[in-house]
Amino acid sequence: MSKTTAINWEVGPIFRALLRNKVGAVLIAIQIAVTMTIIVNSVFIIVERDQQMQRVSGLDEDNTFYLSSLGFGQNFNAKVSIQDDLNMLRNLPGVVDAMQINAIPISGGGWSMGLQTKPGAEYDGVGTAVYMVDQNVLNTLDVELIAGEKFTPTDIRWREPAQGDWPDKIIITKALATSLFPDDEWQTAVGKTVYINDIEPMTIGGIIDQLQAPWIGWDKVENVMLSPEQMDQDSTRYIIRTEPGRRDDLMPQIEELLANSNKNRIIKGMRSLQETRERSYRSHTALIKILSTIMVILTIVTALGIVGMATFSVNQRKKQIGTRRALGASQGAIVRYFMVENLIISTVGVVVGAMLTLGLNIILVNVFNLDKIDWYYIPIGMVVLWLVGLIAVFAPAKKAANIPPALATRTV
Amino acid sequence: MLKMTDVKKVFRTDLVETHALRDFNLHVKEGDFVAVTGPSGSGKTTFLNIAGLLETFDGGRFELDGQDVSDLNDKQRSQLRNQKIGFIFQSFNLIPDLNLFDNVDVPLRYRGFNAAERKKRIEHSLDMVGLAQRMKHLPSQLSGGQQQRVAIARALAGEPRFLLADEPTGNLDTQMANSVMDLLKEINANGTTIIMVTHDAALAKQAKRNIYVLDGKVSEVGKSATANHAHLAAVQ
Ligand SMILES: Nc1ncnc2c1ncn2[C@@H]1O[C@H](COP(=O)(O)OP(=O)(O)OP(=O)(O)O)[C@@H](O)[C@H]1O
Ligand SMILES: [Mg+2]
Repeated sequence: MSKTTAINWEVGPIFRALLRNKVGAVLIAIQIAVTMTIIVNSVFIIVERDQQMQRVSGLDEDNTFYLSSLGFGQNFNAKVSIQDDLNMLRNLPGVVDAMQINAIPISGGGWSMGLQTKPGAEYDGVGTAVYMVDQNVLNTLDVELIAGEKFTPTDIRWREPAQGDWPDKIIITKALATSLFPDDEWQTAVGKTVYINDIEPMTIGGIIDQLQAPWIGWDKVENVMLSPEQMDQDSTRYIIRTEPGRRDDLMPQIEELLANSNKNRIIKGMRSLQETRERSYRSHTALIKILSTIMVILTIVTALGIVGMATFSVNQRKKQIGTRRALGASQGAIVRYFMVENLIISTVGVVVGAMLTLGLNIILVNVFNLDKIDWYYIPIGMVVLWLVGLIAVFAPAKKAANIPPALATRTV
Repeated sequence: MLKMTDVKKVFRTDLVETHALRDFNLHVKEGDFVAVTGPSGSGKTTFLNIAGLLETFDGGRFELDGQDVSDLNDKQRSQLRNQKIGFIFQSFNLIPDLNLFDNVDVPLRYRGFNAAERKKRIEHSLDMVGLAQRMKHLPSQLSGGQQQRVAIARALAGEPRFLLADEPTGNLDTQMANSVMDLLKEINANGTTIIMVTHDAALAKQAKRNIYVLDGKVSEVGKSATANHAHLAAVQ
């Protein structure tokens, strides 16, 4: 058996020496633990928010905008006005399609209803957003029909102001089909009957690939039903899709055309989908910025703390380091000493940090309804903080390695 | 065997150049016990540091065990130091946060010995200095003489060829100094070459050979301590 081994990491003596000088080490370990807790939870929240922001609404967002028309006076006829407006809009060069709609996806405000697969008040419904649309819906909203049939002009009815019943035939999203019939293939939903207002039957005529509800924070944001109807209301909203690149010049043009075409109404609330997305996700963007800033600051503060503590302990142990060099430590062995010492402290820090991270996540889950953290965030966070520690301690360790061995005999 | 021929050492600071060693010549034979005396600032520590590879030199030739050491890099010097040289310091230089066992362990770990081998050597060398029972104690729990004994155990655990000591009894009272000296003589009797810097003429007398350093040079080599004694008196 060989008497020697390649490298001795000195873990035992370094650990025992640390135990005799706990305070500084414990403070740094706590700092590492707290930093890890906040960083890992922040990253988790950021990733989650970012994923929400990456979701697509289904619309041709870059080329879509909407506006409201508010009619007034006895001479205003909503039905006539809506038909005139849509004729004008659909024939305008640069406009791909246009449609009256009751609510705008991802805008924050809209209608929701419950659908159930069996009639009766005793059954629970599945929540869905409702868009009232006409036969031009697929083209206007840029959605694809993936099963069943689209709406024809004869499917579209007028909904009077006080009317409470629903059309016979609807189109739903694939996500809603899966929600309604979780045990079946989504395609089989076509032709099935669902009930609205507990007992009122409607047939599923078609399924579209994807369209989001108005509420981005809703966990069923993909549950959408299209109801074939136009609304006989003085105040209405149009959604307009333009050819690529035409949106910005068409917006003021259309606003003016509509305002001039009928003096008994005003046009307001014109906004692009792009702006709507920015407004809806504004708090997401702000939160991501705040958390990122906090993370960067905390990481820097922790790294500086490690640098400070290591520098302090190098200065305090100059003579000891000189003695170690005199006893045969190479410069590498001195660097290694401080690296190992830092790793021991960091390891305590990240282990405590892992527990605190889970603890904070549990609080966030309970109080703020956040999701449970994915397990792999914890080991990644541990490794990152280990690395931060090693990088931070490297300069002081190099400084220690440069302490001359002669210091052992030169100082008393 | 340790051989210095015309070794020079200059310390340069912004203001002054100090010629700490000028044409330093010395040949120490295997198994010798050399006591180095000389006035303060004469270059004794500088000589010992160069001999122990703690410091480089600026001219001349230095052979350790037949090997010219001037071209070695830091890593090779560290290794050679670790294998061939044991150091004892005036202020003991034990590591305060480590118990005696771990203190003696320090050079053995740099040597790369495995755990069993290290344990054997630590216990043996602490036993030799009479402190095997106090392995788990911290340096602060020992008297100065005992601390110096631990330092000697640490210096010897790796079985070096040379033991270099810079005023090892400087911080000890006479009784403790004598017991440390007895220990060094015993170690020398077992074959380790010792070079000891001291201000204590009585201790120097007990060495096999005395050299006197003055102004960065070996000014006199003698077997008799009385000559040094006279010299010291003359200098003062
Ligand atoms: N690092 C250094 N920088 C500048 N000058 C130094 C340095 N080390 C030693 N010297 C100078 O070199 C000369 C020799 O010093 P050295 O320490 O070898 O003397 P010494 O004989 O050991 O003295 P003492 O008996 O007081 O320990 C002195 O003049 C000292 O001031
Ligand atoms: Mg000296």
